[in-house]
Amino acid sequence: MSDEGPTQTLDRRKFLTVLGVTGGGAVALSGCSTSRVEKLVPYLVQSEDQVPGVPTWYASTCTECAGGCGVHVKTREGRAIKLEGNPEHPVNRGKLCSRGQASLQGLYNPGRIKSPMLRSGDGFTAISWDDAIARLATEVTKAAGRVGVLSGAGPGTFSDLLADWTAAAGGTVVRWEPIGHEPIRAASRAVFGIDEVPAHNFADARYIVSFGADFLDGWLSPMEDQRGFAASHGFDGDSARFVAFAPRRDLTGLNADEWHAVAPGSEALVALAMANVIGGSGAAGGSLAAYTPEAVAAQAGIPAASIERVARAFAAAQPSLAVAGGAGNQTRGAIELATAVHILNSVAGNIGRTVLFGSGPATGDGYEGLARLMGAMDANQLGLLLVHDANPVYALPKSAGFVERLAKVPFKVCTSLYLDETAAACDLLLPNHHALERWDDARPRPGVVGLMQPVMEPVFDTRNTGDVLLQAARRAGGAFARFTSPDYETHLRDAWRARATGDADTYWIEALARGGVYGGGQQEATAAPAGAPAAAPQAPAAPAPARPSAGSQPVTAALPAFDGDGEFVLAPYPHPFLHDGRGANRPWLLENPDPVTKLTWHSWVELSTATAKRLDIRRGEIVRLISPHGELEAPAFPYPGLHDDVIAAPLGFGHTEFGQFAKDRGTNPLDLVGPPGNATFIPYVSTRVRLEKTGRYKELATTEGNPRQLGRGIAEAMPLDAARRGLTVRQAYIEAGHGKHEINTELEVEAIEGWRQETIEARKLGNYATEHPAWGMAIDLSRCTGCSACVTACYAENNIPTVGEDDVIRGREMTWIRIERYWEDPPPAAHGAPAAGGDAHAVEGVTHGHPEARFIPMLCQHCENAPCEPVCPVYAAYHTPDGLNGQVYNRCVGTRYCGNNCPYKVRYFNWYKYNERAWPEPLHLQLNPDVTVRGRGVMEKCTFCVQRIRGAQHQARLENRPLRDGEFTTACAQACPSDAIVFGDMRDPNSRVAQIRSNPRGYHVLEDTNVRPAITYLAKVLHPAEA
Amino acid sequence: MTTSAPELPDFAPKLRLTQSHADVTSDVVATLQTPSRGYYMLLFGAVGMFLVGLITFLILVKDGLGHAGYNPPVMWSVYITTFVFWVGIGHAGTLISAILFLFRSPWRTAVYRATEAMTVFAVMTAGLFPIIHIGRQWIFYWLLPYPNARYLWPNFKSPLIWDVFAISTYLTVSTLFLIFGLIPDVAAVRDRVKGWRKFIYGQLSLGWQGTDTQWRHYSRAYLYMAALATPLVLSVHSVVSWDFASSIVPGWHGTIFAPYFVAGAIYSGIGMVLTLLIPLRKALRIEHMITDYHFDNLSKLTLLTGTILFYAYAMEYFVAWYSGNIFEQTTFFRRAFGPMWWAGWTMIICNAFVSQLLWFRKVRTNLTSLFVISIFINIGMWFERYVIIVSSLSNDYIPWAWDNMNPTWADWCILAGSFGWFGMYFLLFARTFPIVAIQEIKEMIPMPRRRAGGGHH
Repeated sequence: MSDEGPTQTLDRRKFLTVLGVTGGGAVALSGCSTSRVEKLVPYLVQSEDQVPGVPTWYASTCTECAGGCGVHVKTREGRAIKLEGNPEHPVNRGKLCSRGQASLQGLYNPGRIKSPMLRSGDGFTAISWDDAIARLATEVTKAAGRVGVLSGAGPGTFSDLLADWTAAAGGTVVRWEPIGHEPIRAASRAVFGIDEVPAHNFADARYIVSFGADFLDGWLSPMEDQRGFAASHGFDGDSARFVAFAPRRDLTGLNADEWHAVAPGSEALVALAMANVIGGSGAAGGSLAAYTPEAVAAQAGIPAASIERVARAFAAAQPSLAVAGGAGNQTRGAIELATAVHILNSVAGNIGRTVLFGSGPATGDGYEGLARLMGAMDANQLGLLLVHDANPVYALPKSAGFVERLAKVPFKVCTSLYLDETAAACDLLLPNHHALERWDDARPRPGVVGLMQPVMEPVFDTRNTGDVLLQAARRAGGAFARFTSPDYETHLRDAWRARATGDADTYWIEALARGGVYGGGQQEATAAPAGAPAAAPQAPAAPAPARPSAGSQPVTAALPAFDGDGEFVLAPYPHPFLHDGRGANRPWLLENPDPVTKLTWHSWVELSTATAKRLDIRRGEIVRLISPHGELEAPAFPYPGLHDDVIAAPLGFGHTEFGQFAKDRGTNPLDLVGPPGNATFIPYVSTRVRLEKTGRYKELATTEGNPRQLGRGIAEAMPLDAARRGLTVRQAYIEAGHGKHEINTELEVEAIEGWRQETIEARKLGNYATEHPAWGMAIDLSRCTGCSACVTACYAENNIPTVGEDDVIRGREMTWIRIERYWEDPPPAAHGAPAAGGDAHAVEGVTHGHPEARFIPMLCQHCENAPCEPVCPVYAAYHTPDGLNGQVYNRCVGTRYCGNNCPYKVRYFNWYKYNERAWPEPLHLQLNPDVTVRGRGVMEKCTFCVQRIRGAQHQARLENRPLRDGEFTTACAQACPSDAIVFGDMRDPNSRVAQIRSNPRGYHVLEDTNVRPAITYLAKVLHPAEA
Repeated sequence: MTTSAPELPDFAPKLRLTQSHADVTSDVVATLQTPSRGYYMLLFGAVGMFLVGLITFLILVKDGLGHAGYNPPVMWSVYITTFVFWVGIGHAGTLISAILFLFRSPWRTAVYRATEAMTVFAVMTAGLFPIIHIGRQWIFYWLLPYPNARYLWPNFKSPLIWDVFAISTYLTVSTLFLIFGLIPDVAAVRDRVKGWRKFIYGQLSLGWQGTDTQWRHYSRAYLYMAALATPLVLSVHSVVSWDFASSIVPGWHGTIFAPYFVAGAIYSGIGMVLTLLIPLRKALRIEHMITDYHFDNLSKLTLLTGTILFYAYAMEYFVAWYSGNIFEQTTFFRRAFGPMWWAGWTMIICNAFVSQLLWFRKVRTNLTSLFVISIFINIGMWFERYVIIVSSLSNDYIPWAWDNMNPTWADWCILAGSFGWFGMYFLLFARTFPIVAIQEIKEMIPMPRRRAGGGHH
């Protein structure tokens, strides 16, 4: 049964056959290959690690970005069904972002290349692996000495092998990540003489300033940074303040306590001005003198007083942290910006405390290396190009001319899993195994080595590229004769054994079980590198020896140049989920709304609300952007978090290949970006564009209804001061002298209380008589960043179908948990005291006059007094004794009255047969067998992961012990990188959830409807500006 | 009936009935003769519309409800709107035949058969909608308390179950009432026709001979039936209103709902009666039986119920303001000034304002103006339900979930299909059974030989 997809029809005869086989205590072979397993063969002798119905977990490493998080892969009956973070792993500590979780949809992607292919004419023909490897060996021999390799794979045993192999073929490997943080590395080189991107310790920072670094949107090490940020910025007696200077407010910016819309490219000036304020003009070899707040204020377009105020607070907080360098504000001056921020951190004494060299992420050769390779391609110096784990045809601006140069290479080989743009332009396709199907390892940063192991049979006829290299080497002979390993697994094992301390076998087995070997978290690797400026924590005001090495050039920064003469600066930014476009073939990532704009499935361009008003452009109006390098059309999204001179657009859409989900979906802003030229990085923000109205409209596929709370107290917040004094939300409101809506009259309270007592009495009857747990949840809004990893986790755990663009437009998305993003004008109580002096922004609000963003995860509240239950005519909605709000899909006839009567609007209806179209083969293999796939015509909703509750209860029962708090949790709580969600038994006074629920910040959404929700939210804490 | 005969002379002049008993029978039976081309065209149109609805329904069953304009949080929309609309239509018939019978309002005589038929067919139409609108139409019977192996009862707490009982009871009683009233008339027709039709009418007349005993039993029984049907007029739409009022949706959750809905139902029912009767009397050439006098009275009833609605609308706004409940306030503000303002104002203008024109006798007795007003009433009352359902759902507690819905082809096709289904039955009925109650009309005729022959025709 497990291999039966929802799309397959199952007639009675077939059903009985399958039932007969599985009923006999057997399951299908562990294989999941859709093409190869045709018979169900019972186990005569059952495999030890395969118990039907019991999941097997494997430790592995996520390869979706360079972060290298450890994952645990849940497999059932021989197929991977969910990815969760590895709690032991120092990078992510058990958490996993949306992109990491969606790796599963990469594994089962219908757009994968199903076997090796060879070009024939315009298309490809499938060939056998023997032929493919023979061809590769022949071509490599033929092109000896003229072989180029472009690899996106991070450092690891494979990269080493690839380098050796390429060397044997007489070529070099260029390692290139599209968004590779080269400017930071260049700045480190310039300021500290260290060729490295540092790691950042957000957790210890007491004051964080970001100059466009999108560390909550997937920057350097997304999970680690977000965890650290939640630890410092989340309220736990105190909270760090976070200020963002950037032209666009990305998700990171929305989490800032203060955001300044600086002019694009002026961030470096602001950073230098701050360094000037802190370190005096003598810092940085005296070259800061020119950068006074007053001098840069005009260029940046923000008041000098703000710069000075933030700078002083930044210096006073110990330690603080400044970060810079997101791709979304990577101008031609990106190196100057990174340099300025290094100096700022240096004068504030943060180097070695929050800015950590020696444990930073591994980066590649940067665009510099790629440019060299492109030069060789252009000069016809390459006979063969092997592209591994990279999609330069899509990820480079068209103006860079990669496609033209690629055409000059006589033979192109690609190991991509998917038929992406680059693969489509190659001659020989050697599809690699997915990371969950192969042996491999990864060294994302010093001290951390992650292992990958095959968790299941390959889905398609693919092959580990490591094996392909070895087999091709064997066939080619000659210079390749030194590759003697019979296969890549042996090669990897040998490499690990060589590193073993103690018994090699034990070392290997333990590493496999743990998912790798870790030297500890970044906190352990805090030593400032030799040659770096010594930290000067005692005297932050004193000029720190932020030295450009002796005799170095003084620091300079100026507004960078932009191509073209359009009115607006175009700022393409990496989409939080699709990143540079590699996630665009995964329905989860397309349907999970972008946390900032809440748009799904299509591309858009953002312009500031003021600009939109000025040009009379409304939401969804299709606009044409024209740069000297190209043009595109996309619907407009007026966005309040944008500098008036900037137009922002997400990367990741506009694929011309890459499978059914990605292809021809939206437009790609890189088409407008000019060539990098001699830059050592891609200056994404380097083009000016003109905007033309088309007069056409597109309905935006948004999940946003009304983004204002209208005083309904849904996502509550209180000032830091009130939170410190332990006030409740209500007390804070009263203190601020308003917010009556939260307060019931005495008569109302009396009535509600009386009724409450009656229901408690009633509950003592029948099913409710004996002691049951009372499941409840607490969500800390001061920790929630709105990243939406919980949403993806819920999709994965609960078989939630994606409904597609058309149905999202009609509001039919099925997100059992959704992140609502409200705009809130800062309440007066949250304002700081008026600043002295005649500053135009005399009273600087929490968000500097911009609306504050409040995120709140909204899911079924499992009300004790649930309005959905009594209205169901057939008892499909009912209450379980342990406080869950159950939904019996079999019983549901679909009157939808429950959905109408739910004040939280968290019930979702199957308008179509989503179950038959959301998982085209082989995506259906990802389905969780523990959760019913809902048919059309029934209502569904969050179950508090009832399958996990019952699973844990059964396990405890088997072991004859009570259930322990924290033994299991819901999928959303498990995934939450900020640890904002806590689930457990409210009746157990020692449980974490029970303790958190008594927090004074706790409140219930829509408490005055008296539905008695089981979810307690802890109010967000607003960090007002310093006086 | 016979007991009220002495009062009749007072009304007779107004009714201008000068024919003999035989003429009445002839006139009415004449309506049952071979239909005209126009009739067939109308019938063809009705059946065609019904088929459009049927095909749409089959598509919904095949693919799911997604084709309709549901746009969560609006999970009920055109289908429930149309359901309530038809239930409302179904109220005029029983009101006129039962309540006015008990109140001895003789002007009902000429129109009650048509309105009763309208009632039955409207309720039959309404009854389809709960089935059409649910997600898994093939198990609609799970809402019925039928014996089953799992000992599962429906949830008697759910207003939808009350609805099932209310509607099925009303359908049963109004059908019985219609059939019952038809007995003497069918017998009259039986005596005028020949061949197989005589046989069919003979069966349907249940052996009616018009003897004194039969008449005595008949009039008693009719009185009791009327007494039984009367409370249903008030209860059915009260229960339907509780589908909404017992929820916590702002805009639905109001204690005023039961009387408000009953008044609305009668208002809409009479509106539909006017829409049907004005052309029908012409088509069937029975202008002398259904006269200005009838329309004047119907108009007064319309005016009364329309004014009650006016009050209810005003009261809803007042309560929203007076309660201080921001959810209610927002809902009602948006009802008038939100994205669906046009629907809200359509409802208020068509129902509250247009009905006030009926204060003028000239308007009441001018059939053209009455017909136009009746169309406004039909539209207004459909929109009333649409506004209450869709606009309330589209903006309730959580602003983030707010969304507007637009009906799609599937909504319009089902709506058209319901009119086709209703029209088909009504047209067939009008050509098969006496659309004017023969025996009661006869009672209105001043009789030279009172009580002679037991009122036999």
